[in-house]
This record gives sequence, structure tokens and C-alpha cells, in this order.
Amino acid sequence: MTHFLPFLVTAMNRHSTFMCRNRFSLSPVALVLTVCGSLLFVSGCGKTPAASFRPNMVEAAKQRLKPEQEEQVATILEAMFGTPDNPIAMPETGLDIGKLRLAAGPVHSDIVGRKNGLFREHCSHCHGVTGDGMGPTAAFLNPYPRDYRPGWFKFKSTERADKPTHGDLVTILNNGIYGTSMPSFELLGEAKVDALVEYVKYLSMRGEAELNMMRYFFELDDEDEGKLPETRDFLVEEILLPVAERWQEAEDAVIEVPEMPEVDLAESIAMGKELFYGNKANCVKCHGVTALGDGQANDYDDWNKVVKQWSDEVQSSHEVSTKEMSREEKAEHREYLARADKALAGDALEPRTIQPRNLRQAIYRGGRRPIDFYYRIHAGINGAPMPAAAGTLTPDEIWHVVNYIRSLPYEFDGELGADRSMVARDRL
Amino acid sequence: MRNRLAGIFWSILFLAVPVLGVGVFAIAPSIDVWLPKDVSSHGKEIDSLFYFILALTGIVFIVTEMLLFWFIWKYDAAARGDEKATYIHGSHTLEVIWTIIPAVTMLFLAIYQMNAWADMKMRRPVMKPTVEVVARQFEWRLRYPGPDGDLGTPDDLFLVNDLHVPVDEDILIQLKSMDVLHSFFLPNLRMKQDAVPGMKIPVWFKATETGQYDLVCAELCGWGHYKMKGRITIESREDYDAWLEAKYREQEATQPEPMDEIL
Ligand code: HEC
Ligand code: HEC
Ligand SMILES: [Cu+2]
Repeated sequence: MTHFLPFLVTAMNRHSTFMCRNRFSLSPVALVLTVCGSLLFVSGCGKTPAASFRPNMVEAAKQRLKPEQEEQVATILEAMFGTPDNPIAMPETGLDIGKLRLAAGPVHSDIVGRKNGLFREHCSHCHGVTGDGMGPTAAFLNPYPRDYRPGWFKFKSTERADKPTHGDLVTILNNGIYGTSMPSFELLGEAKVDALVEYVKYLSMRGEAELNMMRYFFELDDEDEGKLPETRDFLVEEILLPVAERWQEAEDAVIEVPEMPEVDLAESIAMGKELFYGNKANCVKCHGVTALGDGQANDYDDWNKVVKQWSDEVQSSHEVSTKEMSREEKAEHREYLARADKALAGDALEPRTIQPRNLRQAIYRGGRRPIDFYYRIHAGINGAPMPAAAGTLTPDEIWHVVNYIRSLPYEFDGELGADRSMVARDRL
Repeated sequence: MRNRLAGIFWSILFLAVPVLGVGVFAIAPSIDVWLPKDVSSHGKEIDSLFYFILALTGIVFIVTEMLLFWFIWKYDAAARGDEKATYIHGSHTLEVIWTIIPAVTMLFLAIYQMNAWADMKMRRPVMKPTVEVVARQFEWRLRYPGPDGDLGTPDDLFLVNDLHVPVDEDILIQLKSMDVLHSFFLPNLRMKQDAVPGMKIPVWFKATETGQYDLVCAELCGWGHYKMKGRITIESREDYDAWLEAKYREQEATQPEPMDEIL
């Protein structure tokens, strides 16, 4: 705004001399109209500043990185991944630079009239330009938009600890996550969804590479003098590949799903019900005796848990007595706490609990196909408290539970059903 | 001598309003910002009502704007020298006339459009809903009743944003909202209905032509309102049934789809 103020002032001056010379008395209203009009016109032409990735302040504060170390991480990251307007795809990442270019950058049309800047057009107001889940709308939402940087994804066809496949992310973008604010993007068309998925992987790899670096300072020898070696070998082998390879492996790590056993559906549902309430699967512990999701409800998603635990830690550090400390220690302690408080307030969202799903609403976040439920129960939900049942239940048993889960929204004759048939008016 | 320029400036400014206003309407159809193609059975009636009201208000608009211009121009003090203004107390007759004419016009419109309104909002076809549309920030969640025709049963089909309906048949939509006010707007079907949280609102129409058209939200509903966009596909009964069947099969999948089908 400030840069065209001088222009306005001169314009107004010129305007007034013009008026005096002609003794042309325009009313103040006309003046205000003219000024507002030109203001609008000029502000529309203003150039937006280039976007930049935000550093992971929480991790930096937690690892007590020195300013020059933070700077080194930022420099290396930019060399490996580029900037929001200008992404780089090192061959080791296996990412397709063409797709990344389509998704990156400010919203604009290229020479052939193709829309670029898809991520900033469709996603960044929730997920943030950096993919840190802290876009301007994020704080209002529950659950929060996902922070891609730790590389944790929930709804996928791979084992709990594995990355999602490309197809998993495509499915998520196509279907949205019903029951959360994450909308469907299916109508953007395949090419755009594909480019966006590639960009999500890019942001996630970048975020994890950043975490890897920030945590690596701990492992340095004295001779490194607190700096990461800047050789290509080191950066690729120690920082990039551990992340990139896991994304590539995901494509072959899809859970094998045996066919559904051929049992009468009612029978299968009955067996599933028994398992659901039984000790072995113990779904009831979290999802509640009514399956309304009213069991254990005070747990957090992993990313919220990380923030919660650290903020508790910082809180108790605040209460530590500084009496015994030397003057330097005291200063350091105070500096650490100030930095931690700042990072927690400005670069992390207030942790929120995750409720176990109400299984009677027929609203599922990760899809409603039987196979989606199979994956969910087999591998649990990565990042959420929901545990994997693969170790305790056989595939047939998982299928029975799937059938039971699918019948829950329509189960009216159970204990809950007896209650339900009573309409609200009758209760009064 | 007082300045005549100010009077000229203002009167020309007010003259520009009807000139530009009419001009924009005149060129609108040729730059394709006019009414979108109508593919509904009731659309003709809506459109003719629209044109009728447009003509009526258009005439009133032009006449009042011209009067405004004329008065500013003619009675500019600077142009009339030392002529004194006369004080009049108002004209009772004039006031009665300009109250009665609009009142009668409004009353006429209210009665004249009543049948169209009743067709769209009151005479609902007797049938079960074709589909339930649940508006939420910022998408349209759809639920088809499945083969049994009843919503809330295990064979319901769940989809998002991609509304399909058969052509030449009565369609009854059950409209709900999950969060805030939205408005279900099918421009090509001349259909717009607010979705209100806590209410189950019936919406009905009959499409007369196959094709794909926009489904948009017409009520500012939050940050992502602009992208709350779906699509309606109007197709033959056979195509519609085949599509339902395919989608239902997808929903019942117990094995992963081959990769090239997802992509
Ligand atoms: C209105 C906010 C909003 C917008 C816009 C949005 N998301 Fe999300 N997104 C969310 C929320 C909230 C979640 C977390 C849901 C959860 O944890 O259950 C999420 C989760 C995700 C996930 C993680 C899925 C998983 O399996 O864990 C991916 C990937 C994702 N979004 C990608 C995108 C992309 C790509 C776009 C843009 C095309 C986008 N999102 C736009 C809110 C949004
Ligand atoms: C430790 C607590 C816990 C246990 C035990 C647990 N769940 Fe969950 N479950 C959750 C939480 C929390 C969520 C919500 C996760 C989310 O939204 O990301 C969830 C979500 C679900 C969902 C919804 C998936 C979707 O796509 O929306 C299903 C289905 C489910 N659980 C089934 C089960 C079954 C079956 C069992 C027993 C084998 C079980 N859960 C055991 C905590 C638990
Ligand atoms: Cu809306």
C-alpha cells in the first residue's frame, strides 16, 4: 500500500491546482470517488511478493539449533527443493518436475492457456504454502488440515508405517475426507489431481528432509564444527534417500487382501459383533458400547501429541528453579524458553483431541468400500490412536468386523435401536 | 457568475447510468453473459416471467433516470441566473398516482407469477426422493437410495459433487445442509433453492435435454464458497441406470481397483 501513497499525494495536488485554475468546484464527494477509484485501480496492479517456504520453527527450537544452523538447513533445502515458485525435483526423489510446475507457483495461466499454481489456488489456504497445515483458515477447523512435513498419512492401502501410494492420494483428492473440511477435487480432472498429488509428495519429502537435517546436528562429530557436511553424497544418502525411498517403496507395499469368506451375511455380522465387543479386538474401548464413538476420547493425533508433549515440557521448564544455575546457564535457559514459547504460539496450532469415529452415522473419512474398512482395521489409522488389528485378528475375522461395521448405521433392533424408535417428542 | 461546469458534470454522470445500463444489457447476449441455455420443462415460464419483469422495470428505470438527468440539467442554479425558486407544498394528486401505479403493478406481478411459483415450490410430484443432496463447506454430498428406493438403508449409494439424473423424468431432490446456509443452484435448470441447516427441503424439476451442466452454490457460505462447484449430468434412463450400477459396484469393492482405473 505504502509505495503508491506518494503518487496519490501528487495526483491530488495536481488535481487541486487544476480545479483552482478552472474555478471548477467539484464537490468533496466527487473527489473521494475519484480517489477511491484510482486507489482500487492501482492496488489491483500491485505485484505480490514472491512466496517462500516457512522453516520448521518448532523443530528448530526443540533441537536448539543455532541461527547459522537454521540458515544452513534453509540454504540446503532451497538447493535441493527450490522455492514455492520454482520447484526442483532431484532425480533421487523420483518426482516429475512437469507435474510439480503445474501445481507450484502463483495462480496463472501459461502460454498454452493451461492453469498453473494449482496448489495455491485450491489447497494452501488450508494446508499452507509450505504444506505445514497452517494456512489462514486452518485454526478454525477440526480436525486441522494435515501438516505434510512429518510425512504421516492416514487413509491408505499400505501397512501402518508405510507411505501411501500415489493411487491412495488420488483417491483422497477425488473423494475428499467426508466428515472433515477436506473437500473433493474430483471435478478438477485427472491431470490436475495427479499434479496436486505429486506436489503433496514433494512438500512431504521436503518437510521430512528438513526434519532429518534438523535432527542430524545431534549426530555430528566435533570436527564438523556444528555444520552439516555439504557434499552431495551426504545429502543424498543421509537426508534425501531415507525419505524418497520410502515413498517409492510404497507402491509395492500394498496390503494383500484375501477374498471375503463366503459366509451368510447375517452370520458374518454376528461374528463381527462378537469380535467388536470382545477382548481380542476391543474396538469397544474407543468406539464405545453404543459404537457412537463415545469411548476413550482424550487421545491426540500424533502430530498434535508431539506439540502437546513438547508444550507440556516447556511448561514444566518454566517452573524449574533457576537458582542453582550460573549466569550463562540462566541466560541460555531463558532464551530457550522464549524461543519455545514463540514457536508454540506462532508455528503450532493448539493441540486438539481426536474422537473415535461414531460408527452409526455412515460417515467415514477414509472411504466406505469394504476394502477401505479392511485396510483401516488391518493397519489401523496411521497418526491416529486407532491400532492395527492385523496381529490379533485373522483376515476372515477382519472381514466379519467389516461387515458388522457396515451394518451399524442401519442396526435398529439392537440395544440402541430400542432407544432410537422413541422420537424426541415422546421423551418430553 | 456561478460555474455551469459542475451542473453539466453531474447531469452527464446521471445520464451515463441509463445509457451504460441499457448498453450493457444490449450487448450481454452477444458476449455470452446472458441467461444460460435452458434444459428444464418449467424454464420457459421462468424465463418469460424474467423478461416480462425486466421489460417493466427497464421502462421504469429509463424513464426515472432520464427525468433525473433532465431535472439536474434544467434546474441547475448556475444556468438560471437570478431566477428564484418557487415553493410548492407538493401535489396530492401526483403522489396518489405514483403510489397507486407501482402498487397495482406489484400486485399484478404477485398474482401473475403465482402459478409458476406454485409449480416450482408447492406442487411437488408424489414420489420418493431421487437423491439426497447434503450441502457442506465446500462440496455437495450426494446419497442415492439404491435399488429399494428408500434412503437410510444399506444399499444407499454415496457420492460427491457428481450429480446424475435421468432425462424427461420427474426428479425429486431432498436438500439438506450440514453446517451453514448454502444455495443449491442449477442455472441451466432454472432452479435455485437455499439449503438450511436442520431442514429437509424438497426440490423438483424435469430435465428436457441430456448434457453436463454446472451445479453451484449461490449463497456466500464461507471462505471456499467460490469453489463449491459440482456438476449435473443429465442422461438417458439406460445410461443413468448403468452409471448407478457401476458406481454401486465401485462402492462395494472388496479388492483394489487396478491403478489405471483410479487415475
Ligand atoms: C478447507 C480446508 C482444506 C482444503 C482446501 C484442502 N484440504 Fe486437504 N485436508 C484438510 C483437512 C482438515 C485434512 C485432515 C483430515 C483428517 O485428518 O482426517 C486434510 C487432509 C489432507 C491429506 C491427508 C490425507 C490422509 O490420508 O491422511 C491430503 C493428502 C490432503 N489433505 C491434500 C489436499 C490437497 C492436495 C488439497 C488441494 C487440492 C487440499 N488437501 C485442500 C483440509 C483441506
Ligand atoms: C485406541 C482407540 C481405538 C481402538 C481400540 C479402535 N479404534 Fe477405530 N478409531 C479410533 C479413532 C481415534 C478413530 C478416528 C481416526 C481418525 O479420524 O483419523 C477411529 C476410526 C475408526 C473407523 C473409521 C474409519 C474411517 O474411514 O472413517 C473405523 C471403521 C474404526 N475405527 C473401526 C474400528 C474397529 C473395527 C476397531 C476394532 C478392531 C477399532 N476401530 C478399534 C480409535 C480406536
Ligand atoms: Cu455453499
